[in-house]
Amino acid sequence: MKAFEYATAHSAASARDLAGSTGAYLAGGNDLLGLLKDYLVSANILVNIKSLPGLDKIESGDKTWTIGALVTVAQIENDAEIQKVFPGLHDAASEVASQQIRNVATVGGNLAQHSRCWYFRHRDTVCLKKNGDLCYARNGENRYHSLFTGNSCISPVVSSLATTFAALDATAIVLRNGKETRLSMAELYQRAWENPLAHNSLNPGDLILRVEIPTTRSRSAYLQASDKHAFDWALVSCAAAAEMDGGTMKSPRVALGSISPVPHQVEAANQFLDGKVLDDTIATQAADLILKDAKPLEHNAYKVPLAHALIRRTLLKLKGAA
Amino acid sequence: MSNWPTDNKYISHSTLRIDAPPKLTGSARYSSDIQADGWLYGMIYRSKWPSAKILSVDLSKALQVPGIKAAVVAREGQVNIRYYGEEIAAVAGTSKQACLDALRAIEVKAEVRHEFVVNEDEARKDNAPQVWDGAANVSAPHVHENGSVDTAFPECAAVIEGFYTTPIQIHNPMETHGNTVSWTDDGLTAWSSTQGITSVRDGFAGALQLDHSKVRVITDFMGGGFGAKFGPGAEGVLAAKLSKQAQAPVRLMLTRFDQALAVGNRPSSFQKIKMGALADGTLHAFEGENYGTAGIGAGGDSGGGGGGADIPMPYLYKVSNSRVKQSSVAVNAGSARAFRAPGHPPASFGMESAMDDLAVKLGMDPVEFRLKNDPSPIRQREYKIGMEKFGWKEKYEKPGSSPGVVKTGIGCAGAAWGGSRGDRNTQGEAQINPDGSIEFRLGVQDIGTGTKTIIAVIAAELLGLKPEQITVRVGDTNFPYGPGSGGSTTSPSVSPTVFNICQNALQQLQTQTGLADARGDNWFAACKKLGVSPLVVHGQWQQGLSTDHACGVQFVQVSVDTETGLVTVDKILGVHDCGLILNQNTLESQINGGIIMGMGYALYEERVMDDLSGVLLNPNFETYKLPGIADVPDIEIVLINMPERGVIGIGEPATVSTAGAIANAVANAIGARVSSLPITPAKVLAALGKVPSPSPAST
Repeated sequence: MKAFEYATAHSAASARDLAGSTGAYLAGGNDLLGLLKDYLVSANILVNIKSLPGLDKIESGDKTWTIGALVTVAQIENDAEIQKVFPGLHDAASEVASQQIRNVATVGGNLAQHSRCWYFRHRDTVCLKKNGDLCYARNGENRYHSLFTGNSCISPVVSSLATTFAALDATAIVLRNGKETRLSMAELYQRAWENPLAHNSLNPGDLILRVEIPTTRSRSAYLQASDKHAFDWALVSCAAAAEMDGGTMKSPRVALGSISPVPHQVEAANQFLDGKVLDDTIATQAADLILKDAKPLEHNAYKVPLAHALIRRTLLKLKGAA
Repeated sequence: MSNWPTDNKYISHSTLRIDAPPKLTGSARYSSDIQADGWLYGMIYRSKWPSAKILSVDLSKALQVPGIKAAVVAREGQVNIRYYGEEIAAVAGTSKQACLDALRAIEVKAEVRHEFVVNEDEARKDNAPQVWDGAANVSAPHVHENGSVDTAFPECAAVIEGFYTTPIQIHNPMETHGNTVSWTDDGLTAWSSTQGITSVRDGFAGALQLDHSKVRVITDFMGGGFGAKFGPGAEGVLAAKLSKQAQAPVRLMLTRFDQALAVGNRPSSFQKIKMGALADGTLHAFEGENYGTAGIGAGGDSGGGGGGADIPMPYLYKVSNSRVKQSSVAVNAGSARAFRAPGHPPASFGMESAMDDLAVKLGMDPVEFRLKNDPSPIRQREYKIGMEKFGWKEKYEKPGSSPGVVKTGIGCAGAAWGGSRGDRNTQGEAQINPDGSIEFRLGVQDIGTGTKTIIAVIAAELLGLKPEQITVRVGDTNFPYGPGSGGSTTSPSVSPTVFNICQNALQQLQTQTGLADARGDNWFAACKKLGVSPLVVHGQWQQGLSTDHACGVQFVQVSVDTETGLVTVDKILGVHDCGLILNQNTLESQINGGIIMGMGYALYEERVMDDLSGVLLNPNFETYKLPGIADVPDIEIVLINMPERGVIGIGEPATVSTAGAIANAVANAIGARVSSLPITPAKVLAALGKVPSPSPAST
């Protein structure tokens, strides 16, 4: 990797000042160090943000829970209250990478992580995402790629926490130009939908401070399917959340990961589910709606039935039946 | 035939690895741990093009990078590059970062060629770019025929046809390839991660035009080798040149990225099989057409560095009428090297899949069908033992009849490995000291299988001592000659040699001390009578203590989620033989390893090449997937001890039948054949007819 300076910030504002527009924030470092070592990104300074006060806590509340950006994935996984209040979030956290990575990986880093597309990550290919002329995956080896995209790049979002936060309608609070800005998960990734060079909507210098989760939905679930049984990326991930009144769903939300540059959400499906009594037929119809506009490529068409099955299973899991 | 003792205390029992403590405490120094005085890091600059003519390589800026002490080119002059990752130059310096910086400072002028081909089916096309100038990519077919296939097929009661394919499997031992090399005017010393210290010594001597006597190779501990670590390799020769230029030892261990590109792999196979049986289940006709790639090392008149891609067909079975046609296809990618049981796992997968498909068509139980056709009495015995132990009869249901979304299925497959009775030239010596301590010295290497331990076990048994009283030194070309560890031949080479050393030791002790029997309780008294000078006895391989041809069968139970396509292996039973069991726990460990490696081949591993750019897309464990502990099932091993056969190796047969057995269990579970390895969720869903057609091509 290229040489860089290193500094420790003790406040969010000083972190911002130290990083400027060409630095990078260092927390768990799982993604950043890999990107630096592979010369995929460069930073003139790494600003250690692990000492920022207050960002490593999970705080419960009647209406809203707050999860600091420095909370580790393992902290979420091991928090007994989270497991009760947001079981989907617990399950998503427990599927992330390996125990060793979960111990150091942070919520902020998980949300901000870059594309895993093997063309983007390859040292000797210059793809669209690296300012090149074409997406190699589109007509190439696209087994792990998106079914949906708003641009020419088909690299999917892989953060399983983002998928789950989307289903829980969580908000990311981002320090932007000295002010706290509130972004929904859709907004946090919107730019990746539009622009192949982006993997999220963060600007240089933006710092994720925390995530707020409303307690509106008392039921949540998360499932992912992978090639292997552990320590493997999701081929497709799915999260769902709702308030349940008897068997009737209120304010349901479904989101999928690894099939779009953004957590894939279809508002029509959420509306369809609202007020419905959950059963296999309803779940199937919701899955149909969610995947209606999928555009499978040569090697990723299997993700359509896979996603369909996961949507059904995740929804039925909300009932506690499956 | 066997002269091995019976009523043993150690042989055929379990002795912990004698080098377990250093391995567990970390005091064991593996080749990649060696820190010779003043050593430097070495790194390789590789081609980023799949095809190019290198016009010039300018190392001057690399040499100016602070900390860099040497830089060399891989080959002088204008060089043709034939695959992505081929070695172009190397640097040595005082830190990893200095080397990384230097690699980026190397300036290469090249004529980049856009004509290349990295996948087999593209390379077979008439207008495909030629990997080797003036030579066809596809080799002339090798044809073997017996009986008359054309008249036999119409006589069959059932005939199946299938197309079974296997991917390129990349060598990924725990320790990558590499060496620390110190080359001075006095000679060359290499600490190598190798399976063959002697072949590495000869390789260095040949490449650098040195006397064999000037090259010493040391391998105290090494982290695994499966057929691709027999020579110094391009990385070893570059390390030597760097060492000479820098006048310092250079440690050049490959990275995982390097490892994926240029140190060998198992060739792919594309097997078109047509096979028929008579009404009583006797195999009657077999027609097999296979092609595969060994990378640049095959095809046309290339001569090849990696051998061809032929596999044994119809594998274990004798079919009275058969026609087999095979060819190798050259592609612009790293070449093949021997890989644990070369040819056998793909052959087993193809043939055993076809066996099950035909059994289903005949309406026969797959094990009964094998018992009917397998010519080996040992495997017959193993199938019967396995069937009983596994509960085959109770568990077997017709394909696809398992109810529910997650379906269970069972399958089996057999293995054969010729191997050899050992290298007849194997030698060794033991130094017996007056204090009763004894040290064995053999010029073999322990590649992690427990070779040191079996030497101690045999010596303890024959001398009436305890294994911990035996000091064992291997892995040094200064010791008497020993063979490379490949082809499951180390045990049959080493064991008779140790036997002979012990015989000679007892005889000479008797001669020198006058004590009739120096074993056991008499040992120390006898040694004391040696006076002040130790006794050094020599020994060599002798006949009658080892043999060849191991078998083995494996049974597998899987669960397949028919909605997500995920295959879970629930249980594997291996029934294996290797003649006289020397040490049960290291043997079981080796079979466990073979089975887990076979699982990787069955379910996860696959080299992925990109047609457009020609690069290898998965040079890491993120996307070149290997089994993890969560994937590994309950593995049960049943061993058949056959002391009367003498010692046989087990390395290869342990891994042969796993993939075929898993594939058959999957087919049995879901009622559809996934005929292509690895059996990924995507392929399972496709076999179930659940995958829609892709959208029309777009840009």
